[in-house]
Amino acid sequence: MPSRILLSKLATRFGPAIERADLPDSDRLFVYVAPAALREVSSHLFGELNARYVITVGADDRPFSGKYLVAHDFALDREHVLGSVMALLPPDAPRVDTISDLVPGANWAEREMRDLVGIEPVGHRDPRRLVLPDGWPEGVHPLRKDFPYDKVPEGYDPGRRFAFQDPPAGCTVVPLGPFHPALDEPAHFRLFVEGERVRGCEYRGFMVHRGIEKLAESVLGYDDIPTLAERICGICGCVHSVAYAQAVESAACLEIPRRAEYIRTTLLELERLHSHLLWLGLACHLVGFDTLFMQSFRIREPVMWMAERITGNRKTYGLCLVGGVRWDITPEVRSELRQALATLEGEWRTLLSAVGGDRNLKARTRGVGVTSPALVRQMGLVGPVARAAGVDIDCRRDHPYAAYDRVEFDVVTAQEGDVWARLWVRLEEGLQSIRIIRQCLEKMEPGPLRLDLNDALPPGRIGVSSVEAPRGESHHFVVTGDENRPRRWRVRAPTYQNLQGIPAMIQDQRLADMPISLGSIDPCFSCTDRLETVDLSSGAVRTYGEAELRALARGGSREGGAGGREGSYER
Amino acid sequence: MSLSSKLKEAWIGLSAGTVTLPYPLAPHPPRPGFRGRPVFDAARCIGCGGCASNCPAREILIHDPCQELRVIRYLGRRCTSCGRCVEVCPEKAITMSESFELATDRLSDLEQRLTLFMGSCQRCGRCFAAPTPLDALKLTGYRVDDLEAGRWVCASRSAPPGEPAPDVEIEL
Amino acid sequence: MSAELLSAALLVVLGALANVALVLLSAPFFQGVQRRLTARVQSRRGPPLLQPYFDLLKLLGKEDLESGEAPAVQRVAAYLALASILATACLVPLGFPAPLGSAGDVLLLLYLLLLSGVCTLLAGAAAGSTYSWVGVSREMMSMMVLEPILAVALCVGAVHARSFRLEAVLDGSPWLSGAPVSGGLMLVVMLLAFQAFAGRVPFDVAEAETEIMDGPLSEYSGQKLALFRLAQMVKLVVYAALFVGLFVPWGSGWPFPLGFLFFWAKAFALVVLVALVAATHARYRVDQAIRRYSVLLAFSLGAVVLAALGR
Repeated sequence: MPSRILLSKLATRFGPAIERADLPDSDRLFVYVAPAALREVSSHLFGELNARYVITVGADDRPFSGKYLVAHDFALDREHVLGSVMALLPPDAPRVDTISDLVPGANWAEREMRDLVGIEPVGHRDPRRLVLPDGWPEGVHPLRKDFPYDKVPEGYDPGRRFAFQDPPAGCTVVPLGPFHPALDEPAHFRLFVEGERVRGCEYRGFMVHRGIEKLAESVLGYDDIPTLAERICGICGCVHSVAYAQAVESAACLEIPRRAEYIRTTLLELERLHSHLLWLGLACHLVGFDTLFMQSFRIREPVMWMAERITGNRKTYGLCLVGGVRWDITPEVRSELRQALATLEGEWRTLLSAVGGDRNLKARTRGVGVTSPALVRQMGLVGPVARAAGVDIDCRRDHPYAAYDRVEFDVVTAQEGDVWARLWVRLEEGLQSIRIIRQCLEKMEPGPLRLDLNDALPPGRIGVSSVEAPRGESHHFVVTGDENRPRRWRVRAPTYQNLQGIPAMIQDQRLADMPISLGSIDPCFSCTDRLETVDLSSGAVRTYGEAELRALARGGSREGGAGGREGSYER
Repeated sequence: MSLSSKLKEAWIGLSAGTVTLPYPLAPHPPRPGFRGRPVFDAARCIGCGGCASNCPAREILIHDPCQELRVIRYLGRRCTSCGRCVEVCPEKAITMSESFELATDRLSDLEQRLTLFMGSCQRCGRCFAAPTPLDALKLTGYRVDDLEAGRWVCASRSAPPGEPAPDVEIEL
Repeated sequence: MSAELLSAALLVVLGALANVALVLLSAPFFQGVQRRLTARVQSRRGPPLLQPYFDLLKLLGKEDLESGEAPAVQRVAAYLALASILATACLVPLGFPAPLGSAGDVLLLLYLLLLSGVCTLLAGAAAGSTYSWVGVSREMMSMMVLEPILAVALCVGAVHARSFRLEAVLDGSPWLSGAPVSGGLMLVVMLLAFQAFAGRVPFDVAEAETEIMDGPLSEYSGQKLALFRLAQMVKLVVYAALFVGLFVPWGSGWPFPLGFLFFWAKAFALVVLVALVAATHARYRVDQAIRRYSVLLAFSLGAVVLAALGR
C-alpha cells in the first residue's frame, strides 16, 4: 500500500514531529506535523523523496479546531499517491516557514495564502500582494471565517499602487496590459527588454478574481457547487466539476456507480477534444493563420453538438452531483457519438498530416518558448507543457480516477519542449481521447447514475482529487463541513502553475515570440482569474515611465498601471 | 514553402464547403434536449419549495404572505438552465423548454410568478404543520426570501420578523 | 493659350480624373472579392462583395477621435497617403495609356510609391503610441529591403527599353530585345515579393492584427481611417497594374474594349492569387520576413546585371 509505505518512511525519519496521519485509501495520505517541523518535512518530501509540488492551501479552521491550517499538497506520480503534509497554527499571528526557496513553484500559493487567509510565509523572497487589489486595507483577509462574503472593507485606499520590481541593468520596460485591445480580460505583463531580447518578466494578475471559494463556503450547498465549479472556466468546466465532486466523494468515502464513472470519463475526454481543437485554432490565429483557426473550429463543431446531445448544453454540461452524474448516454446517443467520432477522427488525421508538413507554421513555432525538464520539475509545470519537454506525467495514469483504470491509452510525450512539440503533443492526445471514448462506450455497464445520499456527509474530512484537464493537472482540495457545504475548497488550475514558468520560458527570446510562447501553455484565464497578454513588440524599444504611458493612452485608461483598482470580490 | 501541406490545408477548407448559418436572419431551432428556460406550471405545483432550495443561482424565491397563500417567484435573471429544479420537482410541474432567445430590456419579462392556495387541514383548518421543506429552508445557515426586493437573504444575517432585512447587494 | 493646348490640357485632366475614378471604384470591389474568397477557403459565407464600400461609408460617418501625439500631422498623413497613391495611379497605364505618362519618368513613379510608404511611417510616428512605434519600425525595416526590389524591377525594364520613360518601361519592357532570362528571373522575384508589396499575410508584419493591433494605424478612426483603408486598397490595384504592365503585357495592346478587359482580367487574377496565398499562410516574424526579402533582393540584383549584359 503505497501511502502506508510513504508514511512509514516519513515516520522513520521524523518520528515525534508527526502528530497524526490519515490514510483514507491506499493512494491518499494526510500527515499532520508540528508547525516547526513543516519546512523540514516538506524539504525531505520534495527533495529526497522527489515528490511533485501541487499547491499550498491555507484555511481558517478557528471555528472548529481553534487554529489555522496550512497544507502543502504533493503528488508521487510513480507511486500513485496524492497527499498533503499539514500543520495547525496557533490563532494569533499565524506564521509558517516558507518553502518557496526549496520549491520555487510554491511562490504564488504562499502569497495567495498570505493575502486571503493571513498566514505569513516567513522568509518568502517576494512577499508582495498577489490576489488582493492594491487598495485593499492591510490586515483584512477575506477567506477568514469572520469575514462575510459580501462585505466591502473599510479603509480601501484607491491611491495606493503596487510596487513593481526595477528592471535589471540595461533593460527597458515594455508593459503589456492591463488593458489591451488584443486581450479579452485584463492582465499585466511587464517585460524587461534589452534590444530585441526579453530578459525578464513580471506579472500582475487576478484582476477578475470572483470570490468563488468564499461563495462555496458561505452560501452554496454541496450539490450547488458543481454548477459553480463548471463556470470557473469556459473551456475546461467539466474538469472542475468532476474534480470537486471526486474530492468530496473521496472525503466522504463514497463510491459512485460504475456507469457514472464511464459517463464522467466520456465527457472529460470530449472536453479534451474540444479544448485541444480550440487551442490549435487560437495558436494559429496568434501567428496570423486565420484559415487554420476557422478550420479547426469547424472540425470542433461536432464535438459541441455531441456534448449538447448528451447534456443539453454545448459547454456547461451540468454533469456532476456529489455521488454521480445527471445525464445518461442512451443507445441512440451512443450510436450518434460513434458516428461523430468516426468523422472527427478522419478530419483530425487529415489535419495532422497537413499541419505536420507545414514549414511556414513550423518557422513560427520551432525553438520558441523552450522548457527544459529541469524547469518543469522546479516550477511544477503540468500537462502538455511538461509532456512536450519529455517529463512523463499524466494524472489519468498516475492517479487514476473515474474509469481511467479500466481503459487503455498512451501518454504522448515529446522531447524538444518548444511550442511545436506542445502542438504535436496536443494533436496526438486528441487521437488518444477518441480511443478512450470508444472504449468507454464499449465497456459501459448498466446501472444507476448516482448514489442515493440520504444522510449528511461527515464534516471535517479532507479530500483531494487531481484530474487531468486539457491543460494539465487540475487539483481540488476539500474539507467537508456542516450545513451541507464544505468548510474549505481550494481550486488549483493547471495554468496557475504553468504561468509561473513563463518568465523562464521567455528568457532570452525575441519579443516577437512572446504571444505564441504564452499561447502555447494554453492559458486558461478564467481558471486562474487572469488572462494571457498577446502583445508583440520587437525591434524599437523605448523607455516609458508609468505616467508617460498613461498619458499616451487614450483617456488614461489604456495603460492602467498597476493591477485592478476596483472590485472587492473575495474567493 | 511547404507547398503540398498548404494545398492540403486549402483543400480541407474548400472541400468542407460553407458551414456557417444565416442565423439570425433565418431561424435555427436547437436540437431536442437542449436546456433552455424552465417553465413553471402553477396547476401542478404543490408549493413544496424543492426547486427553491436546490437552485444553485438562488433565483427561485418563496414566501408565505398568509397561512393559505404561498408565492413562488422564479426571477430568471441568473438562471443558468441547469435543470436542477426540473429534477427535484416531485409533481413534474417544471419542464425544460428549448427557448434561449430571451434577451429583453425589461427584467420582469424573465419572471414567472406562481401564487398558490395551500390546502388546509379539513379538521382543524390550519395548514400542515412544520417542519415542511419550506421550513427546512429557514433553518440556521440558510435563508429567508425577500420577495418585494427580489432577493434572498442569508438566515444568519437576516432580520428578526417584522424588521427590514439588512441591505444585501445582489447584482442584477 | 492656343485652343489645342487648352484641349490637350483638358484631355489630360479628364484622363487623370478617369484614372482616379477607375481605381477608386474598383479597389474596394477587389477587396470584396478577396474577402469573399478568403471566407470560402475558411468554410464561411463571407461578407457581400460590396461590403468594403459599406465599410468605407460607415467609417466616413464615424466620429474622428484625435487621440495621437500630433493630430495635425496625422491629418496630413491621411490625406497624403491617398493623394500620393492616386497620383501614382495617373502615371500607370490601366488598360489604356496613362494620362500623365509623359509627365514624368520611372524615377517619379518610384518616388511617389516611396511617398505612399512614407505616409504610413508618418502616420505611425504622428500617433506616437507604443504599438504605432513598433509598427513604424517594422514597416521601416521592410521598406528598406522591399523598395529596392521594386526599383530594380523598373531598372531591368529601363535597361531593356533603353529609356526611363514610363510609356516605354511599363509596356512589357523586360521581355524586349529577346532576352528572356533576366525578364523571367525578375518576374519570379516580383511574384514572390508581391505579397509583401500588397502587405498581406505572410508578410504583413507591420500591421499584425493579433500582435500589435494594426501597428501604425492603431490611433486612427473615422474619416482618417477611411482614407488610409482606401489608400491601401488602391495601392493593391496600382501595384497589380504595375506588375501586369511590366511583366504580362500580352493582350493589353489589343484595341479597346478587348485590351482593357484583358488587362483588368490579369490584374484580377493577381489579386485573387494574393488572397489565396494570404488565406493559406501564417504570418512571418519580422526577422524571418526580412531574410526572405533580402534573398529576393539579391536575385533581383542578379537580374539587373543579366539585363545589363543583354541576357
